[in-house]
Amino acid sequence: MKKSIIIGKSNVGKTLFMINFAEFLGLEKIYIIQEFPDGKKLNREMSIEAAREYLSSSSKYKTQCIQSIDISIPVYKGKKEIKIMDTSGLIDGIHPDISIRSGIIQTLERLHTCDIIIHIIDVSLLTQGILLSQIDRQIIEYGISRRGYILLANKIDLDKAKIGLNKLKKDYEEVYILPMSALYKTGLDEVKAFVIRSI
Amino acid sequence: MSNNILDLYKFGKVSLNETFNQLFSSKAKEKILKGQEDNSENIKSILIELNDLIGLANVKELVKEIIAFVEIQKRRKNENMLTEPIVLHMIFRGNPGTGKTTVARIIGRLFREMGVLEKGHIIEVERADIVGEYIGHTALKVKQQIKKAIGGILFIDEAYSLARGGEKDFGKEAIDALVKSMEDYKDNLIMILAGYEYEMDVFLRTNPGLKSRFPIHVDFKDYTTNELIEIANIMAKQRQYKLTNNAIMKLKQLLTTYNDSYNSGNARLVRNIIEKSFRKQALRLKKQSYISKKDLLDIKAEDIEGNDNY
Ligand SMILES: Nc1nc2c(ncn2[C@@H]2O[C@H](COP(=O)(O)OP(=O)(O)OP(=O)(O)O)[C@@H](O)[C@H]2O)c(=O)[nH]1
Ligand SMILES: Nc1ncnc2c1ncn2[C@@H]1O[C@H](COP(=O)(O)OP(=O)(O)OP(=O)(O)O)[C@@H](O)[C@H]1O
Ligand SMILES: [Mg+2]
Ligand SMILES: [Mg+2]
Repeated sequence: MKKSIIIGKSNVGKTLFMINFAEFLGLEKIYIIQEFPDGKKLNREMSIEAAREYLSSSSKYKTQCIQSIDISIPVYKGKKEIKIMDTSGLIDGIHPDISIRSGIIQTLERLHTCDIIIHIIDVSLLTQGILLSQIDRQIIEYGISRRGYILLANKIDLDKAKIGLNKLKKDYEEVYILPMSALYKTGLDEVKAFVIRSI
Repeated sequence: MSNNILDLYKFGKVSLNETFNQLFSSKAKEKILKGQEDNSENIKSILIELNDLIGLANVKELVKEIIAFVEIQKRRKNENMLTEPIVLHMIFRGNPGTGKTTVARIIGRLFREMGVLEKGHIIEVERADIVGEYIGHTALKVKQQIKKAIGGILFIDEAYSLARGGEKDFGKEAIDALVKSMEDYKDNLIMILAGYEYEMDVFLRTNPGLKSRFPIHVDFKDYTTNELIEIANIMAKQRQYKLTNNAIMKLKQLLTTYNDSYNSGNARLVRNIIEKSFRKQALRLKKQSYISKKDLLDIKAEDIEGNDNY
């Protein structure tokens, strides 16, 4: 089964994207597997609404482990199962909390084993003065060196996001950058097309 | 290796960025992305920083020479012409506080931007960090430090002390181990040996093999009193303070009394006096009932005081 991983800094909308993407692909309920850094695993089943409410949050570091769902996606005449992994938020430097660092390590351990990398940034934060953080630039660098990489410019619904998007596109001409809104579910069709192309 | 770096990150010893780099990036990739233009911008701003250092005329000149040399060798290589080997190990001779470490840091960053070194960081060590207490210990210690320094500069302070202690001392073993790693990592590690002028000369005379491996010799002359005053003014300005004329007079006096060979021309001494003056000013102002903005700015003669530690 092909694996895809959603990565990015905290609070950019990774979890909300995963849930709403799953819904967009036709799921009414999700079965989510949470794998904690200490090895514990937890399987949970919940409705899309409950997932949005319990798994995504406006406060940072809501997600502190890998949590994945399996989705079947239509390819040609048939269907294909893919695994989508949501991950803990990344942060430059050394986060003071070891449990957050442990969550981040899970991401680093899996990154190279994934066929598809969905890198999300909050493009509304990128007004003209503020640049991408170093870890985002590093992921982009890594991403363009391999197949199956996409950069999602999330929260395009917000004011100022357009300014950030233009700047981003200018700085990274060689990257596939897709503006979208996980909240208002725009751009999901293009993400789906990208995933199909990449598997 | 990769598990190792993850552990370091887990225990908060290295940044995520460094970890990510080690796991996923290769030199080549970095270079493609950096692009020529913005690189030369960086080089320019580092050179400005170097130029802004007070005095050190010969050092500045030498750095320019090295840059030119490296660039020309690169060009020649691109044209498939014969190239000189670029050996950049250095010897820094000079008293404490004459700017050796400061200059080494700048050179490291410069070399990174020029593509000579991958990271350009500096690891500062002294005898105790690389000389062990029993057989085998020294090689291990050297290895550990080298590992940290790969991609950057290993800066060995008071290097002559390695030759101290005679035949049975492990200092000799440390030198051998260092020389070996110079060969092993010749494309990605620069060593700088630093120390007092006289001691370094004796050290090199007793190790002729070493001298040839360190082709670049840089002398850090003692700062003149006027240069030290300029350094003091800059240090104060950078932290938004200002030395009054009387404070400068007092500092001058103080620096002349410290004028023994060990402490003369010492910018570190100046730094300590200046930093202490900020604290003394604070204490003085606390006793005042009204404090003006100018009061906050000014460092007065009474705030300037030597310290018996030097
Ligand atoms: N306006 C807007 N808000 C969004 C969008 N996507 C996510 N958000 C909000 O951003 C916040 C963070 O969303 P999450 O999905 O929890 O983010 P995350 O990246 O998973 O964050 P952590 O797991 O905590 O690191 C929530 O308040 C979301 O409602 C979007 O497209 N537009
Ligand atoms: N030319 C200069 N201009 C401005 N500041 C300087 C200059 N040289 C040194 N300094 C300052 O003086 C202090 C001491 O310098 P540095 O540590 O580089 O000396 P050093 O030669 O390495 O001394 P040591 O041998 O004791 O380690 C530093 O705080 C540095 O910022
Ligand atoms: Mg999350
Ligand atoms: Mg020093």
